[in-house]
Amino acid sequence: MLSRTLKRALLDSRLPLPPTFLLPWAAGLTTVSHTPEAGNVPPPLIDSAQHVSTDRQAMKSASKQPKSASPAHTAPATAPKLPAPSSTGTSPIALSQSVRDLLPLLQAQGSHYITAHIFDRPYLLTQGDTVRLPFFMKDVAPGDILRLNKASNIGSRDYTLKASAAAPKLKSSTTTTVEVLDPTSGSLASHSRVMPTPSPDSETPSSTAARTMAPHFIPHIAKGKVSYLDDRLFVCRAVVMGVEAEPMRVKEKTKRRQRKVKSVKSKHRYTILKVKEVRIRGVEEIEGGDELD
Amino acid sequence: MSLPTATNYFRITLLRSAIGLPKRTSGVLAALGLHKRLRTVYHPVSQTVAGQVFAVKELVDVQEVVQALSAREMRQLRQPESGFYVERRAGVRAGEGEGEEVEV
Repeated sequence: MLSRTLKRALLDSRLPLPPTFLLPWAAGLTTVSHTPEAGNVPPPLIDSAQHVSTDRQAMKSASKQPKSASPAHTAPATAPKLPAPSSTGTSPIALSQSVRDLLPLLQAQGSHYITAHIFDRPYLLTQGDTVRLPFFMKDVAPGDILRLNKASNIGSRDYTLKASAAAPKLKSSTTTTVEVLDPTSGSLASHSRVMPTPSPDSETPSSTAARTMAPHFIPHIAKGKVSYLDDRLFVCRAVVMGVEAEPMRVKEKTKRRQRKVKSVKSKHRYTILKVKEVRIRGVEEIEGGDELD
Repeated sequence: MSLPTATNYFRITLLRSAIGLPKRTSGVLAALGLHKRLRTVYHPVSQTVAGQVFAVKELVDVQEVVQALSAREMRQLRQPESGFYVERRAGVRAGEGEGEEVEV
């Protein structure tokens, strides 16, 4: 599809690169924690912020005490800032000590699950699952093998590998701008304040570009942003099984005291995938950098 | 208003509706190009636009930015990443079409 290349061409052609605050919906993903500016968090995001903070505390405490007695022990992965697709070259992955210690344990456990994101929608999958996607996937034919490379969680019965970054509190900095002009000493001349553009990353400004500022505050789009694992940590493959169609449904459209009744037919199609492989790579395999499988 | 050599733009987003407000207010929003909530428009910084923004300042969120995006560009930025790529096509033996990586 052209969307990705067009986006790249679009964003590459402009210098400086568009500020990542212009990628609000996509730029909520980062592995760097940002201190939010002073001010109130907008109500729709308060819950997500609290949830995120408790997760962060849990992960911090878990990393400090690796021998936790609790059954659900989290092992956060400190991946580099851009979990980019394998096609783009990125810096070598930096695994934290806790990940090095616990990844073999996670691997050793028998069955694994993964929360894979297709078009930002999460799907909880394990090997052998049949997924009926709620949309028709274009440009794929039955038998094509897809590699799912966006995941937020991988886990087994006792261990969970999560992405370490939390969704930052999204708030436009303009809402916290308090500029008090002192008439006695300060200048009363009007001045313009341009939004500071964060330094563009060397990689393609994808959804996981690191930001130094909260993006423009748009609540309905800012909800539900998750952080993703580095895709070099796992392998997840699915096969396109085919396409399913719903029964034909007819919607009748008419108005009161109007004899004409218009019928609209709908018969949507849905792509079926079967998950063939959910595998976590070993520490040596990740650091070796070989992407043969 | 101090302007650098490059043109700066106001990035204006309509956050609150003008339903129930005087028609003058909705006229100002129409002049700015804001017909629906949460739409964003870019206007070059000028006294005219600043005055329009001031007229609807309670409904609107404004930022001053260096670059103006078109509607098409904003839409491109909104598209989510696919989250997958086709590793192997059906009917192609492994090793044959390995270089073909289609990002959907």
